[in-house]
Amino acid sequence: MPEFDELEARLAALTEADFACGLEVFRGKLTAADASYLNTCVHCGLCAESCHYFRMDPELENIPAAKLKKIAMVFKREYTTVGRFAPGLVGAKAMDTDMARAWVDAVFGRCSLCGRCSMNCTVGIALPRLFRAARAALGAMGLVPSDLQATVDTALQHGNNMAISKTDWVETVQWIEEELQLETGDPEARLPLDRQGAKILFTVNPREPKFFPLSLQASAKVFWAAKEDWTLTADNGWDLTNYGLFNCNDQEAGALTQNLVDAMVRLGCETLVIGECGHGYASARWEGPEWLQQEYPFKVKSILELMDEYLREGRIKVDPAKNPKPVTLHDPCNLVRHGGICEAQRRVLQASAAHFIEMTPNREHNFCCGGGGGQLAMGRYKGRRLQSGGMKAQQIRDTAAEVVVTPCHNCVDQLMELNKEYKLKVQIKTVAEVVADALVS
Amino acid sequence: MAPLQLGVLLAAAGSLTALVLEFRGAKAFGTRRLFAPPAGDAVAGARYAFTKGMAPQAKESVRMNPLSYLAGVLYHGGVFAAFALLGLRLGNFHRPKALAALALVGALGGFALFGKRLLKAHLRGLSSPDDFVSNILATAFATLAGAVTLRQGLESAWLMVAIALLVYMPIGKIRHCVFFFSTRYHSGAFFGRRGVFPPATNRPERG
Amino acid sequence: MSILEFNGKQLELNEEGFLVNPSIWTEELALVLARQEESLDQLSEDHWAVIRFIRAHFLENQAAPMVRSICKSTGIPLKRIYELFASGPAKGACKLAGLPKPDGCV
Repeated sequence: MPEFDELEARLAALTEADFACGLEVFRGKLTAADASYLNTCVHCGLCAESCHYFRMDPELENIPAAKLKKIAMVFKREYTTVGRFAPGLVGAKAMDTDMARAWVDAVFGRCSLCGRCSMNCTVGIALPRLFRAARAALGAMGLVPSDLQATVDTALQHGNNMAISKTDWVETVQWIEEELQLETGDPEARLPLDRQGAKILFTVNPREPKFFPLSLQASAKVFWAAKEDWTLTADNGWDLTNYGLFNCNDQEAGALTQNLVDAMVRLGCETLVIGECGHGYASARWEGPEWLQQEYPFKVKSILELMDEYLREGRIKVDPAKNPKPVTLHDPCNLVRHGGICEAQRRVLQASAAHFIEMTPNREHNFCCGGGGGQLAMGRYKGRRLQSGGMKAQQIRDTAAEVVVTPCHNCVDQLMELNKEYKLKVQIKTVAEVVADALVS
Repeated sequence: MAPLQLGVLLAAAGSLTALVLEFRGAKAFGTRRLFAPPAGDAVAGARYAFTKGMAPQAKESVRMNPLSYLAGVLYHGGVFAAFALLGLRLGNFHRPKALAALALVGALGGFALFGKRLLKAHLRGLSSPDDFVSNILATAFATLAGAVTLRQGLESAWLMVAIALLVYMPIGKIRHCVFFFSTRYHSGAFFGRRGVFPPATNRPERG
Repeated sequence: MSILEFNGKQLELNEEGFLVNPSIWTEELALVLARQEESLDQLSEDHWAVIRFIRAHFLENQAAPMVRSICKSTGIPLKRIYELFASGPAKGACKLAGLPKPDGCV
């Protein structure tokens, strides 16, 4: 397996200086909270079933505490007195090639950073923070899986993570505008580009213009119906994704966030609206200001909150009968458990679909689809990704819904694969697509 | 004061000092100023984390492992009871038999969890020697606390185990007696700030 | 990594089912991939129009085309593209056209 060999080659080339560099970055990531977490795990093992990897493949390595332990081993060895003097007793170990390999396997290969374990930890550890610290350390050692890093590099180089040129982006926006005019019968329906001083700057996931523009058209239709004062931008800052959240390189993540900030300042908009994307929302809303070490001079909202407001204020009207098929909702981890947007999407779906069925469990207890944490970008772990997604497939099947709605393009892609792999025979949609179909004047 | 009792007091003082130093060491990693505006209340989140957030209805891990949860709750109750008995003994106060019973029941929980750790391959794989040592000391301490209170004798064994336990506390995982509080506070505050804790009330079909 | 037996040769597919070496693609191979990856027993003229356009675009630009270009060049409406390729333009059409997996949330 060439990828595997490539990783092994990188591992074999590691020097003491690399380890030191990794540890320095690791140390730099840790706060008092993290140090507390790393001192608290009692290895009770009750977190095991909270993890979709473990549920679908009950191996020791898939237990969240086992993944955490590999990180705690190094922490204890480096930063605790007992770990230095009695490493064998408390399971402390130095960072070396084997440990680096074990970290890669644990935090890139068996974790989607979904944080479901945090909800179920006996002592209350929020584990993904530590997995992210470990990913950052591995990055400093040059051990980020190459396809994940390539996605970040593409975004840094081209301003979006699919290397879409400005011409291609603008032409697609204009094309969708024509399609929207056809759909609505309103020749004035617009997808405005670079409208100075618009209230809202709307951002999208590059996979929308590249391959799936119907979701962009649906969002635009909702804005059209709500008579929203909005705009897209032709230049950098239209891509809401940030795979810096997954390679955990704060500098790179900050540089990508800066694209959004620059666009907001350039256009003088009031609110940055993040399209349906879990990690994009968490990055822009929660992590961006920390990466940039500054407060934004503007607000950040999810389009879900906006659609919820439109319905509440009567700015749009919907007829649920237009979506008669039974619908269920998948909660993206970064939007819900880590993002705090729990209820807006439910109110919107209740209003727009005739038959809405909750998955069990749901909201902050929901299972990851298996595609989070950059898993979709790491081909090496595809087998585990599809296997771990079996948990989600089962949840979907249990609802007997015919349509699975999720406000996240990354989840959409994983769900499409699960649909094929587990023969679910469901339709996968975004929330805006459901709302757009239900709009009435 | 008898030498063993003095030993217990010294061990307790040393243990407490070491735990405080460890806690301060972890605290020295520092907090960061946060720039993203909060969506919820960090303090309310932390409060939730220490109350309803620990309840079985909020935790699938508890619902799926009711026996382990029961054993764990009893075990902790037993060890607290044993410490209460130790305090009463050192102050030469009356020691209620109910506390002794609680300590013994708790010790049973400790035995059960020791057996589980030994027999279940996953749990064994997750364990370091410390996991076993910590359990043995705490279980022995609770057992002897109960036994010594209900019947005379064995007192010096109990006090010696108490000294060993106290000395070991900051070395192994029993340090969670201190870190548990900061951990739950930090994660509760994190989810509180993000508007996830406490969960909205009256929402249908809770998972 | 998996191996696809084709015309007595062993072709390497990566974990995602994309050709490791996109230059070895032929139209016959597209048929094999269609069967294996998309459960399509045969490819219609519309399928071929999309696949050939994507292939030509890739050879010229070393990248997958925008779905807009696919629609404009082939005259096939957007919604029809998703009917033709159940896995979508990226994991369906591009894969059959022998392209490497695109970066991003696909």
